[in-house]
Amino acid sequence: MKRFWLKTLVAVVLILALAPLGACDDNDADTTTPKNNLATDEAPDKSSLRIVSLAPSNTEVIFALGLGDNLVGVTEYCDYPPEAEEKAKIGGFSTVDMEKVIEVAPDLVVATSMHEESVTPELERRGLKVITLAPETLTEVLDGIIEVGAATGKEGVASELVAQMQEKINAVIEKVEPLLEGDKPGVMYVTWHDPIWTVGNSTLTHELIEIAGGENVFADGDGNMETDLETVVWRNPQVILASIGHGSAEDSPVTWANTEGRLSGLDALKDGRVYGIDANLVTRPGPRLVEGLQIVAEYLYPSVFVE
Amino acid sequence: MLTDIPEPSQTKMPRAQHTLRWRSRLWAVGGLVVVLAAAVALATSVGSADISFFTVWEILFSKLPFLNIDYKGDERIEDIILTIRLPRVVLAGLVGASLAVAGATYQGLFRNPLADPYLIGVSQGALLGAVIGFVIPGIGDNLTDFGVVPTLAFVGAMGAVITVYLIARSGKSLPVTTLILAGVALGAWLSAISHYLMLQSDDGKLHAIVSWMFGHIDDEWNQVLTVLPFALIGICIIWLYARPLNVMQLDEEQAQQLGINVERTKLILLACSTLITAVSVAFCGIIGFVGIIVPHAVRLIWGPDHRFLLPLSTLVGAIFLIMADTVVRTITDPESIPIGVITASVGAPFFLFLLWKKKRGTFF
Amino acid sequence: MLKLENISLGYGKQDILTDINLSVERGEMLGIIGPNGSGKSTLVKGICRLLIPRTGRVFVDGKDVAGISRSKLARIAAVVPQTPNLPDTFTAFEIVLMGRTPHLGRFRFEGNRDFDIAWKAMEITNTQSIAERRIDEISGGQKQLLTIARALAQEPKLILLDEPTAHLDINYQIETLDFVRGLCSQQHIAAMAVLHDLNLAAQYCDRLALLSKGSIQAEGSPQEVITEQNVKEVYGANVCVYPHPVNGLPTTVIMPGESNQTAE
Repeated sequence: MKRFWLKTLVAVVLILALAPLGACDDNDADTTTPKNNLATDEAPDKSSLRIVSLAPSNTEVIFALGLGDNLVGVTEYCDYPPEAEEKAKIGGFSTVDMEKVIEVAPDLVVATSMHEESVTPELERRGLKVITLAPETLTEVLDGIIEVGAATGKEGVASELVAQMQEKINAVIEKVEPLLEGDKPGVMYVTWHDPIWTVGNSTLTHELIEIAGGENVFADGDGNMETDLETVVWRNPQVILASIGHGSAEDSPVTWANTEGRLSGLDALKDGRVYGIDANLVTRPGPRLVEGLQIVAEYLYPSVFVE
Repeated sequence: MLTDIPEPSQTKMPRAQHTLRWRSRLWAVGGLVVVLAAAVALATSVGSADISFFTVWEILFSKLPFLNIDYKGDERIEDIILTIRLPRVVLAGLVGASLAVAGATYQGLFRNPLADPYLIGVSQGALLGAVIGFVIPGIGDNLTDFGVVPTLAFVGAMGAVITVYLIARSGKSLPVTTLILAGVALGAWLSAISHYLMLQSDDGKLHAIVSWMFGHIDDEWNQVLTVLPFALIGICIIWLYARPLNVMQLDEEQAQQLGINVERTKLILLACSTLITAVSVAFCGIIGFVGIIVPHAVRLIWGPDHRFLLPLSTLVGAIFLIMADTVVRTITDPESIPIGVITASVGAPFFLFLLWKKKRGTFF
Repeated sequence: MLKLENISLGYGKQDILTDINLSVERGEMLGIIGPNGSGKSTLVKGICRLLIPRTGRVFVDGKDVAGISRSKLARIAAVVPQTPNLPDTFTAFEIVLMGRTPHLGRFRFEGNRDFDIAWKAMEITNTQSIAERRIDEISGGQKQLLTIARALAQEPKLILLDEPTAHLDINYQIETLDFVRGLCSQQHIAAMAVLHDLNLAAQYCDRLALLSKGSIQAEGSPQEVITEQNVKEVYGANVCVYPHPVNGLPTTVIMPGESNQTAE
């Protein structure tokens, strides 16, 4: 008698456990017939390449290479170019909706260092090809673009894009060089104001500042770093670059830099050199970094760069 | 009548003892004032910028009206000292003093050595107010807005205690046991609501709330100027009730028979100590251990007479919190240890020490 | 000195005492006796305004108690409670000094005169030797004496004692009552003492009032009040009342009741 009930119980539990496997998913009304998942060493059919981007910076690179139409999945934060926002969303910054990724059946996934630990291995386990872009310097950004170009059959486009970017960078370096004889302006980049976050060395923003002929007053720090009001006052930057793109109007680094009474003694405030700058232009490791560099240079040496 | 009795032989004795004790306590007050001044100067000379001790003293003294010292150095340094470091040190002092006095008062009112200013719901009410300020969209977005979180925290704190008072009051009298029970019950409920709201918020806000909870001293003069009148008036009124508080250490009946208006005393002391606590918590979060440890330490050294216990607790409380905040600013950079952790780290061992001492006689 | 007119009072709706009329003159000691629950302690509370009488008035030194401030009342009348709660960390002298509270305003510190009075009060009660000791270091009997000393320090004209000898050894009982008695006659203070022990009451009080179920059953001299009949009526106990061999005051001697002793 007991054994009968035990067997019944086991049977019921098994049925309940296996039931979800039989349930049909009826969401694929509008997707085209997915291609077969390809093994990693088969060359993909380049024109119908399906790409998923796991970061806004990667999205920008992909669009810059003319592969916008091949993009089948982006993150919630991919906002440039505007067309990116219309693509299917497959996750946030470090969180990826695995189901959605599988649904859009990409041939290539472009990830970042944030995904290295868990997301990328998972994707590779499912047989997807993953490229990771984790540039820490401008040069590495350029290299990354080349890498994506190679993986997508757009080598030519990539080299040309990189060449253009390099040219603009060199132009800035050239103009700045004679000015380096004199005093370089001390610069502070304000990522956020409460608490105060800024950039130390080994960040892209720091590199842009240095290339543009400025001296990051927090160059001794490492990476993204927190600091306090006292240190800011003590280091007395001549130029403040406050990030735009976070917070509301009243609660932004720009407002803070302009209205915090205790900053009024800083050279930057006295000379009126507080500038807002789009955070995405100086922190996102993509083609627009060059634009960011040019803007920073303009702010630092207006007489030279603004004609 | 009593003066008809012939002069007893030992009139000098206890008066002399008594006077001696009084004198030593007065010296203690004077000494602690000096220590407080030194603590302020020491704390102000510590910070991220490398400013010499001597310069700090020069700047501080130049601000005193009667001395004719003029500081002619870098304006930036003056700014750092006077607008960033000094307000923070002063606020720490005010809050430390308020919490210590409130703690001593609560211990005297409830005749309970375990009483602290958060006993009847101030902290839970303040937390709920703050959480609402952080979490409710629209209200909480402007985290740097001066008024929102502190105002809501203050309203929450006072609201909680007023509710507890109304529940506990019966007719004209305020039985203290009922007060405690009602406070504990209401506090638990408010905590539950706060925790629920906290779980609903996203990671960033949760982190901000928890940081707020464990205590922090900001460096804004307008916070100091807001706290100052409350603290000053509240503490002074409490000092005035020192003798009634002494007499109330007998039970309430005896105190009444000695002429003390017990109900009025209870009400005023409760109101004032709750007010100064609420203001402190509103701006600085929930800093624990100051309110319970400082009065005990003072009592241990200088005795239970509230006419000295209260002023001495004020001074010791201020010094304690100033030093704790200095530790926060020096040990961690950027600051990641909330001041509540420091006060607990000092307070808990000290409390255990007091308990050990208790084995050799009561300390309350 | 003390006069109660038609006092009825109780806690809440129930009256514990009904229609009490009493008076005590200066130099006189009135004893209140009666069984537990007859309202003795309630009476004391009603006099010092811990409880407000529902009807009737209390006069102390000619003044209606309802009309004077608590402080003023405390300067005239002192209460010695039954088991005083004293805080452990204060010294004996500090406790006695608290008796000066009604005479000091909010701001005045104790002056020399206050010290003197407190010190003398301690001398009278023989507690000077423990003046600097903490309360948690002294015995119950000494605490009682301290409370009396504190009451004395109030410089009262009327002392109310609520069972002052309840927990004391016999020697302390005698000492305390001797001393209160002495106060009455020498210092011209009026005293009203609630007493449990009929013999002590008879020996020390000028007059007695026997309370039963909230009203005065008998009032007068000890001989008039302590009778076998009264005791039987009020306490329900059989006793023999004999004149004291030395001073003739009524001495109550108990008679054990019928019990289940094995008759032999």
